[in-house]
Amino acid sequence: MIYFDNSATTFVSEAVRTKILELTADTVSANPGSLHKLGTKAAEVYESIRRETASLLGAKSEEIFFTSCATESANTAIKGYMSRNKRAGNAVISTRTEHKATLECLEYLSGLGYEIRYVKVGSDGKPVIESLEEELRKGGVALACFTLVNNETGSILPFDAIVKTIKALSPSTVIYIDCVQALGKLPISLNSMGADMCSFSGHKIHSVKGNGVLYVKKGIRIDPLILGGGQQDGMRSGTQSPVLAGAFLAALKEVSEGIDEARAKAAEINCYLRKELAARDAVILSPDDALPYVLNVSFKGFESETMLHCLEIYDIYVSTVSACSSKAKKVSYVLLESGVDRKVAANAVRLSFSRYNTMEEAVEFIKRVDEIYEQFLVK
Amino acid sequence: MGNVLLARMGEITLKGLNRGSFEIQLKSNLKYRLKKFGHLKIYQSQSRIWIEPKEEDNPNFQSMEAARDIMKAVCQVFGIVSVSLARKFEGDFESIKENTVECIKELLAQNPDYVTFKVESKRGNKTFPLTSPEICDELGGYILDTFPQLKVKVKNPDFILNVEIRENNYIYSGKMMAHRGLPVGSCAKGMLLLSGGIDSPVAGFMMASRGMPLDAVYFHSYPYTSDLAKQKVVDLAKIVSGYSGRMTLHVVNFTQIQLDLYKNSPQDMLTVTMRRVMLKIAERLAEKNDCKCLITGESLGQVASQTMEAIAATNEVVKMPILRPLIGLDKQATCDISRKIGAFETSILPYEDCCTVFVAKHPKTHPHPEDIIEAEKNIDIDEMVEAGVAGTEDIEINPF
Repeated sequence: MIYFDNSATTFVSEAVRTKILELTADTVSANPGSLHKLGTKAAEVYESIRRETASLLGAKSEEIFFTSCATESANTAIKGYMSRNKRAGNAVISTRTEHKATLECLEYLSGLGYEIRYVKVGSDGKPVIESLEEELRKGGVALACFTLVNNETGSILPFDAIVKTIKALSPSTVIYIDCVQALGKLPISLNSMGADMCSFSGHKIHSVKGNGVLYVKKGIRIDPLILGGGQQDGMRSGTQSPVLAGAFLAALKEVSEGIDEARAKAAEINCYLRKELAARDAVILSPDDALPYVLNVSFKGFESETMLHCLEIYDIYVSTVSACSSKAKKVSYVLLESGVDRKVAANAVRLSFSRYNTMEEAVEFIKRVDEIYEQFLVK
Repeated sequence: MGNVLLARMGEITLKGLNRGSFEIQLKSNLKYRLKKFGHLKIYQSQSRIWIEPKEEDNPNFQSMEAARDIMKAVCQVFGIVSVSLARKFEGDFESIKENTVECIKELLAQNPDYVTFKVESKRGNKTFPLTSPEICDELGGYILDTFPQLKVKVKNPDFILNVEIRENNYIYSGKMMAHRGLPVGSCAKGMLLLSGGIDSPVAGFMMASRGMPLDAVYFHSYPYTSDLAKQKVVDLAKIVSGYSGRMTLHVVNFTQIQLDLYKNSPQDMLTVTMRRVMLKIAERLAEKNDCKCLITGESLGQVASQTMEAIAATNEVVKMPILRPLIGLDKQATCDISRKIGAFETSILPYEDCCTVFVAKHPKTHPHPEDIIEAEKNIDIDEMVEAGVAGTEDIEINPF
């Protein structure tokens, strides 16, 4: 099997499995909120996981909150900030190439009367700084929402330039960054980065589904999304799960090591595939300077879903945003927004790698693509 | 004595000497369709079919609410016109009054806005001391005394209370309408060409309503259509089988045939040649599975392949009759039936016809016979049919 769909989700690593088993032992399974000594023990374990997670992400412990997923983190950050800080301004800045977790929150805010201003993106998928400046100069921007690495193309946000522009023109604007696809692939140090709120997902870094993290910088006040018993400093009620938090940490530890080496390996695979696929008339849709873990490519003569199923025959797994439907052809809004031709976008397939993919797999992939062209291309 | 279901027969009662065989089939179909609802006694008396639980505590008969699922299942059996949940009891007029009060209490609990009613009665047991009009009068008066908020209204009342005096007494109110037709199994089997669309499940439903058991055939073109498309067809077959009974779905692996057709026949004739091959494969599968006809969801003029010329061109390749129950229906009428039988939501799931590469931009809508000869000159249709029949996967479908 060749699994090139790591931006969708990843396999659970052995270390995570071991950690989960360890944390389901009776001795640590009590409610961390209970006052008896078993509860205290669970709370200690939980807090130490939180501390270590914070430390690996370059943040303080009290700035880290465990959630169920990155979508919950995004909802909490975006809705929570705007709900709490009504006098901070009536506008939110973002782009139309964000993940749906952000876009749907913005749509929700728009329904409440907030003004959502979308910054233009260039053909490289990056926000155009002039457009950002223009939107900021209109004033009243409470929140800016961007994605560090685009999930469909791997396009990397020019983060420093964005932060500099925002700080210069609208210093009070709070910055929220979706870091889901960047975690474990780019070095992240939250306190020195310049972002105020960030979201992370466990299952994209070889943890199980059901765990995410929200970073909220000290001093930023937001309303919680989930109310209840006041766990996690009231930010996210619901009994804390040392198991899920521990799974996240175990995964984070693994992907935090050897980031540069892993990236170099992904780059080698990416370069090889770009070259080979371009030679086969495929259109590479990921920008040249994209994160090498994501490669968006449009195959000539194959609609996205057909290629996905052809590859599936060979036990090769990829993703497509463009889904076949006899009624309405759904094409990636991210690609269309970046100026990709609709017909090219309709054939787009996303290959996404993890640190565990190999060159052998890439070579095998190309071999299978040739076979697919031979057998299934309808001329 | 508890609740029973009273199901009314329709067209069967017009049958002559062969009526008995239709009734036996109907009871057998009911028995099959209702087997998940516990041990039941299904018998017939006059033009009614009675369904009684063998165990008194069968939960499916305890109330109108609890009986909804079994009543729906009864309504899926062709040959039934309607069904009611009735209270069955013995005794004199006093016991009728008692049961009436309980029946109306339950009814009002579910429909608190009911105000007007009338009583209808039938007296099969002529030894009962009151005549039918007397029962209506007496019982109506008693209801008015007991439920002062209710009023009598003869035309269009909110509810009708039915009383039937037979060997036992029965009281019920309201009925669930079924799909009429003839019991499935009362004629020979047909092979339904089932796609993932709206029309073909409706076509299957309509033929089953005339008593026809079904098998179905689906042409799968993986990887050009996904396995989700196939699953959708399986789901649709299951919905149809709720009415038609168990069936075999024959899934033909059509990929290579489609590729060969694409390579070797002109673009604008592709739809016609493809359909001709499909019908020939369907006919062969029909013969093998004891089906006497093919059934399609074609509707005249709906798409390029359903013009009269195109239908003639596909019709001529098979000897078996092709039944097209939707041929004169417009799309809206078909959609209405699709909704009624519960197939619409599944039919509109977006997995069918995934790949557009096999669809000609400008298909020939009025193919001439010479076009067809020309289009098929490089194709060995017999070989394709052989390959299609050989590469068929059979999936057993039942409504449960």
